[in-house]
Amino acid sequence: MTQNFIRLHNVGVRFTGDMNTDGLIGWLARKRSGESAPGAYTVEALNDVTIAIEQGERVGLIGLNGAGKSTLLKVMAGIYMPTSGIAETEGHVCPMFEFATGFEMHQTGRDNIRIRGLLLGMTPDEIEAKLPEIEEFTELGEFLKYPVRTYSAGMFIRLAFAVSTSINPEILLIDEVMGAGDIRFAKKAKNRMFEFMEQGKILVFSSHNFDLLKSFCARTIWLEKGRIIMDGGTEDVIAKYESSQR
Amino acid sequence: MKHSYSSVDKSRLLRDVIRSLLLHRVWFFIGIQDVKRRYRRSFIGPLWILINLGVYVGAIGFVYGVMFGQDLKAFLPYLMLGFVVWGLISASMVDAGMVFVSAEGYIKQFSYPKQIYILRALVSSSMNFVMGLAAVALVQIFLGTFEVTGWLLAIPGLLLLYIALLGHTTIFSYLGTAFRDLPHALAGVLQVVFYLTPIVVPASVLKNHGLEFVYLVNPIYHLIEVVRHPILTASLAPLSTYGLVFGYILVVYCIAWYVASRLDKKVVFLL
Repeated sequence: MTQNFIRLHNVGVRFTGDMNTDGLIGWLARKRSGESAPGAYTVEALNDVTIAIEQGERVGLIGLNGAGKSTLLKVMAGIYMPTSGIAETEGHVCPMFEFATGFEMHQTGRDNIRIRGLLLGMTPDEIEAKLPEIEEFTELGEFLKYPVRTYSAGMFIRLAFAVSTSINPEILLIDEVMGAGDIRFAKKAKNRMFEFMEQGKILVFSSHNFDLLKSFCARTIWLEKGRIIMDGGTEDVIAKYESSQR
Repeated sequence: MKHSYSSVDKSRLLRDVIRSLLLHRVWFFIGIQDVKRRYRRSFIGPLWILINLGVYVGAIGFVYGVMFGQDLKAFLPYLMLGFVVWGLISASMVDAGMVFVSAEGYIKQFSYPKQIYILRALVSSSMNFVMGLAAVALVQIFLGTFEVTGWLLAIPGLLLLYIALLGHTTIFSYLGTAFRDLPHALAGVLQVVFYLTPIVVPASVLKNHGLEFVYLVNPIYHLIEVVRHPILTASLAPLSTYGLVFGYILVVYCIAWYVASRLDKKVVFLL
């Protein structure tokens, strides 16, 4: 059996925002005059990040908003390409990033379950086999026959959460998604999430909940302004992090 | 399943493309869902494609047929085929601009290579095409001009057409994401190209007026001909037409590769 791993070597991600808004005409105008784009900006979202995570490890990510936690997870998922350095992963990656987007608004809840399942790497047979279980977990009943544009925000979360946690993950990447839905669902989701996190051969998740990090991860990485400030035992890292924020 | 992403890796794009093609279950399913969505809550559903085509051919066919002194028996299938193939080509350029934009929610949270959304677009735009071809066959049967040989001989042309359109869709999906004006500009340009391409006007009419060059330099004409000519005449199109289409495909793929390798990493940030 192959060993799963995530290895980042001197990874940097730099966003450039100059092409975002002004399209072809602005581009041509700039090309002619030779000046740089008005309001052009670059953001170093990650800078020289080197991490090796091996099979069996559960790693927490902490840091202030905008520290680069989500960007790091997206690089691990292959969604963002590093603009410098190398990112390597071995194993089927299951990202759990957003529960509020990525729906076909005019299609039924059931069809959205199928699409989501496919995009997460399930085969059509697997999806059909798991469909009853997923449907039951969402508790959406009749609503699964309706187009999802009729859903409330909480119902989207139920649907997406149920699909995402029904797969067998090898590398599980979670971006701050605890506390989904109403009280009843949140409790149910929490239990399912814990089971799910146990299954992953590698788990990386970002959280502001220190108790959760302490109970799940032996190792935690602290990011700030796209750089690793500290990478070590969860207790130590959290203690340092907390004292730095005072 | 090992994935390696590096800022200097040249073969990643190629690996992504191959991986996308292998994920046919995913893009085919989503493409079909798009078609279903288009006609959900519509009473007669995809039959609208046939009705619209019928209205178009009925109105334009008789007027232009008489105007250009064409034999309607030959002119109606000609008109329909041109129109149906044109629809597919136009989708591969104008609609392609929205390929990544409309898949934003997926691209930002799932790991699959984004080329699957290009293939999905091709699936969903093929529905009109397939229905249109069926309508042509029906009309031909009705007029007694249906020839199985012709349809079989059109297969190489259809393959070439799809290969070319995959290239088109790739180019315009990337460019449309980076330059949001492009789909609007293209829609205007294509309107002009439509009238310069022998679709409504028989090629022979242009030829008789010494305007042959207008369509001979137009690659879209040749793309249409590799499908239309065999179906109408039950013989292969001139070899030069296949040659030109082949050359066009090479050029399109070179551009597609260049555009994709420049923009592939940036797409997710441009959404």
